[in-house]
Formats: sequence, structure tokens, C-alpha cells
Amino acid sequence: MPALHPTDNHFALPANATLRTVTDTHEDLLAFMAFHDTTVLDWAETTQFDISLLQLLEAARIHAGTSGKDISLAEPATGLLLDTLRRSGFLEGMSAADAQFWLHQGEIQ
Amino acid sequence: MSFPDPIEVFRTEAAELLEQIEAGLLDLNVNLGDKDQVDAVFRGLHTLKGSGAMFGFEALAAFTHHCETAFDRVRKGEVPATQALVTAVLDAKDHMRALVETPNGDHEARGEHLLASLRQAVDGSETGHASTTAAGPALTLYKIRFSLPQNAMANGTNPLPLLDELRDLGECRITADRSAIPALDQLFPTDLHISWTVELLSAQPRSAIEDVFIFVMDEMELAIETQEPDAPASTPAVASAAPAPQAAPEASVAEPVRAVVPAIAVPASTPADAKPSKAAENVRVPAEKLDELMDRVGELVIAQSRLSQLAGGSGDLQLRAVSEDVERLSGELRDTMMVLRMVPVTHLFSRFRRLVHDLAHETGKTIELITEGETTEVDKSVIERLADPLVHLVRNSCDHGLEPPEERLAAGKDKAGHILLSARQQGGEVIITIKDDGRGINKDRVRAKAEASGLIPANASLSDQDLYQLIFQPGFSTAQTVTNLSGRGVGMDVVKRTIDALRGTINVVSHPGQGSEISLAIPLTLAIIDGLLVRVGSGRYVIPLSAVEECLELSIEEDMRSRGRSFISLRDSLVPFIRLRDLFRTGTKPDPFQKVVVISTGSERVGLVVDQIIGDHQTVIKAMSKLHHDVATFSGATILGDGDVALILDVGHLVSEGQQQEAHLRAAG
Repeated sequence: MPALHPTDNHFALPANATLRTVTDTHEDLLAFMAFHDTTVLDWAETTQFDISLLQLLEAARIHAGTSGKDISLAEPATGLLLDTLRRSGFLEGMSAADAQFWLHQGEIQ
Repeated sequence: MSFPDPIEVFRTEAAELLEQIEAGLLDLNVNLGDKDQVDAVFRGLHTLKGSGAMFGFEALAAFTHHCETAFDRVRKGEVPATQALVTAVLDAKDHMRALVETPNGDHEARGEHLLASLRQAVDGSETGHASTTAAGPALTLYKIRFSLPQNAMANGTNPLPLLDELRDLGECRITADRSAIPALDQLFPTDLHISWTVELLSAQPRSAIEDVFIFVMDEMELAIETQEPDAPASTPAVASAAPAPQAAPEASVAEPVRAVVPAIAVPASTPADAKPSKAAENVRVPAEKLDELMDRVGELVIAQSRLSQLAGGSGDLQLRAVSEDVERLSGELRDTMMVLRMVPVTHLFSRFRRLVHDLAHETGKTIELITEGETTEVDKSVIERLADPLVHLVRNSCDHGLEPPEERLAAGKDKAGHILLSARQQGGEVIITIKDDGRGINKDRVRAKAEASGLIPANASLSDQDLYQLIFQPGFSTAQTVTNLSGRGVGMDVVKRTIDALRGTINVVSHPGQGSEISLAIPLTLAIIDGLLVRVGSGRYVIPLSAVEECLELSIEEDMRSRGRSFISLRDSLVPFIRLRDLFRTGTKPDPFQKVVVISTGSERVGLVVDQIIGDHQTVIKAMSKLHHDVATFSGATILGDGDVALILDVGHLVSEGQQQEAHLRAAG
């Protein structure tokens, strides 16, 4: 469970952000978003990603949209995260909002 | 309610997969052209890799991927299956087991070495084979739409490797449809809400795409449309990021693909040889849960026995009726429980194929293992305890029994030695036989060794069977050289001890120059047996009913007449008998109408003189205490309906005692 600092809107994703941890991450993120209007997802320490995480973050985006909150990635997707997006087929047919969230409107490297 | 640890569940499944892979490899080794086995090995490796990645066994998944790729190439006809490849993957399979058991161990160097061997095996087989794959078939453009079952991820299917496999088939454009993903507060995070559309330009047939989904085919939705890419100008490009193949003209990806061939029906069709899923019909239950259930059934049987006793002494007809119902139901429950515990010996036999393969390699002999009766079922606890004795016996046959090829050829035999491992049910026993066509047991050498060791006096008169039984004495070995495999005399005594502990018997037959046959007769179950309850003096004892041939009355006159001889005449043959009252030193006077219970093991019979036959009794076997563990006459104990303890007679031991008694009396004239 990430620390809930009232002034800190950064939510740290776990090192292993895969199906093995997604249930915990889901609970933690839901609780975090309940207390914060803005959530910044920090994945700097994350070394493993899979589709369950991508799906979780998409669900978090929808949740933020319907509850009037903001959510973003602390850094645009690069490296392993970008590779997982590419392998999962998330980069094809991206809308502008998708590109803003995942890539900070950057080009795919 | 507790759920099993998913990692442990994976380990169990991985162990089964590795066994299947090994069996497939060994079959393939016999017939390198067997495409079914190539497919089976590939599927096993594929599943292991996918499940491994899913459960965080990254090193296992990465290592297995190389073996899977090698077999994929065999499957596609790019390289042939060779013995070198089979051996390399067999070695790799052992490494996979280590990666499953100790994922954090230092396996890197070993893994690299094995992969080098694998590469060498594949590269070696590739030479001279490339020409068959030089001319590539025409490319086909596929449009694939698929969605996996919602619980796919939770059940261990990781979509990423599936997508990677599609990419391996050709140029690919993959688009995820995320429109069904719910909001975070509605999401069950292990469910899958994403589906995919894939445009694939590939030379592979449609079946190759279906193979990607072979393990989820029954539950997923899959539609595949095809279109020749170089015919119509409106065909979409497959890859926007990567350069398109020359045959694929550029066009908007949004344009729908025109289907030339109708889409495959939804839900997806299965390959011709695929069988309908049976997953829903099986439930995996930990073995200890079955043991726990068995204990409960045992306690129920004891309680029912007490109820029967109370009802029998009561005049209440309704109580008797209920007691009879409970007796019937507990009997049925017991039978059902016994069936649940039974497993086919194929699980036991399959491991010997690898053992024999390795032993043949080590000894330089050509050995063929033949197995029969693999569907014979035995209680799981018996199976577990039989493994080690059988390993010793099979190793002994390979090492000492079978001759080297040149010796066999000189003796006019086949170059290949044969070992037959068979199982069959006979009454309440399973007979497991290990038979070889080797040189046989050298009786003279056994006798000389036994005399030198002081096991028998010089020139002692022994039957062949008694002589062969000496090989099971501790430290006994006639091997002139000690090898890595056997010859230290350690093992055969362990075999004997284990079989004794299982209340089984060993029978040895050997013919010089023709081979040996060792048969193990083991009770089908160790948990509950039907017994014959008897009284000797004031004590009650159980004789396993499966060993009982008949019961006779021993009149006082006949008892007096047979004093000092202890034989009864039974249909023109003399059967030795043992007075249990004397054996147990009850100090009581015999009943006027004693009974003789004739028991047998195979062809040997002995009579047991008891004071009273009480009747049949469902016997829940309890182990003897450590203090009484080595009392040879008894194999266990049981609790009777009134709470008293009755000892269970060890039939094998008593028959052996009776036969010795007979031999002594015959020798004395």
C-alpha cells in the first residue's frame, strides 16, 4: 500500500505490476483515488508489466473521467512499458486522449 | 475455506506437464517421424512456457521458449526430429524441473550449456534439410478477431505470448479493443475485458493460427478471414510501423477486409484432432485431502461397527433397520472412497521409460522397455511406495540381467535386451512383474556367496525359490564389479523391506541364459480391507479375507491325532497348519470345536487353527506402534465395534512359517 500523503498525489506502482499483484494494486489505487482529485502514476520502480496492468490503468482513466478527477503517468511510456503497450496492440488506433495519457503526446520511439 | 497456493498448483501442473513432455520425447525417440508426438511435445512446452510466465517463473519461461521454438521448427518441417534433438530436450527438461523447483537457484551456466547443445542439435539437423524449405509458399492475408474468456488470465492464459506467437507467423498489425473495460470501481482486476483484431500477412496455413489458440479454443471466440494479398488493390497494409511486404499495397487500415473465405463459426471450431474440453468434468484435489477423507470414512466404519453391535444386542427392530441402512451406506461410501484413491500404474511405469533410456546410454546396451497393464489401478499410497523398489529392480535388470550387445549376439539373441514391466490384478492383489531376457540369476554364484557370508550352511538343501530369496538379504550381491548403477548389495534388501511393509510378497523365477522374472504381489489397498474376525484364546484377530480359501472344523480327535505333525489332509493334499493358540501362548484350553482357516499366497497354503470364527469384518487398518513395528506376525491393528483392538495377521509371514514347518517335518521324515 503506497503512503497516503495528503499533499502527495503520486501513486507508486509496484515493482512487479502483473497479474500476481494486480488485485492489491487495484484496491490500493481505488483507495488512493478516493482521497485524491489528481493521481499521478509513478512507474519508475516498476520492472514487470503485463496486460492486466494496462487494463487496470485504462479502467482508472475511465473512473477518473466519470468522477471528475485527473489521472496521468508521471513519465511517458518508454522501455518495457512501451514495449508492453506495443505487444498488446494498444498503440494501434490510439486516440489523441490515449496518446496524451500514455505517451504525453510523444512519438513512439 | 482455504484456497491452494497458486504457485504450488502451478508446480504440480508443471510436474505433470514435464512428465508428459518426457513421455512424448521418449515415444518420439522410438519413431522420429511421429508427427503426433512432435505436436504433443510442442504443446507441452508451449503450455509450460505460458503458465511459467503467468506465475512469475520468468527464467523457466525464457528457457522453455528455446525448446518450444526448436520443436515448432520441427513441427513446421523446417528441421527434422533427430535423436540428438530429443536427447538435448530431454536434458533440457530436467533443467526445467530445476527451474520450477528452485527458481531462484544458480541455473544460468547449466542453462547456457544446455541451450548450446540444443542449438547444436538443431543446426546439425538443419544441414541438408534447408532445401526443402527454400521455396516459400504464397502469402495470405488473414484478418483475425478474437476475445479470450473473461477468466482467461485468472486461469493462467497470458494474452501477450499469444499475440507474440501471432507475430511470429508473419507481418502483423495488432489492435486492442478496449471498449469493454469497465471503470476502476466496477473492475474485477483479474478478469479480461480486452479483445483484439489482428491483420496478419503470412505464408502459414490457417491451422497455424488456430494452433496458437489451441488451449483456449473451446471457450474463446475466434474469427479468421482470409484474402490473397497480391490480388485486389484494396487489400490493407499489414504493418504501418514496419515496412510492408512487397505484395502488400498500402491502404487505409480502417478499410474493412473483404472476406474471400467465410469467417470461421463462432464459437471457434476446433482442429480435427482436438477433443472436446473435459476441464469441467475433473476437479484437482490435493492428496492429503483424500487421506483426510479416508480417515473420516475409517472412523465412520468403526462407528458403524459399534452401532451394529449395539443393534444386534437390542430387541428394537427399528434400531436394527437403521443400523442395517447405515452399514450398507458406509459400505458403499467405503467402496466409493477406495475408487477415488485408485490410480492407474501408468503414472508409475512412465518414469521407467526415462530410467531405461538413461541406463541404456550409461551401460552402452540396447534396451527396450515394454510395459503392459498400465491401466491396472492401485491405491495411491501403494503406488508411491512401490516406486523405489521398482527402480532398484529395473536398474538391476539393466545392469546385471541384460548382457552387452556382443554377448547377446554371441548367444544367438537379439542385440537389444528387453525388459517387460507389467501389472495385473489378481483377487485383492496387484501383481507387478519385472521380466528380462538376459542371462538369468546364476544359482551357483548365489549359493557360493550365501555360504561364504554364512547366510546358509554349506550344501544346505534349498529350493530354487528359497535360494533366490537370498538375493534380498542385506549386503548380498553377486555382481563381480560394482558400477554406478548397482552391485553394492544395497537396494535389494530395501526392496524386500518395502514390499514386506506393504504386506506384499516377492516371487523370483530365473532360467539360465533366458532371463529372470521378479513378481511383486501387493495388496490393492492399505487403508481398509475385508477381514475375517477370529478368536484365539481371549483375543480377537483379523485375517485378510482376500487370503482366506476355506474354513474347516478341527475335531478334538483330529487335533489329538495330528499332534506333533501339524498337517491336515485337504482333498488329497497335505496342508501344514499353525496353532495360533500355541504361537500366541494364550495359556488357555482349546475350544472343543476348533476351526482351521486355510489361507494362501499364490500356490502356497497354510491352515491357521483358531478357537472361533466370529465373522466378516470391515477392517480399518491402523499402523502398529513404533514399539511393535517389527513384530513379524502382525501387519497392523484395527479397532473393533466395542472399542477393543484386534491385531491383523500378516498372511505372507504366516504362510512362510507354515511352509518352513512343513520343510522341517519333511526333512525329519
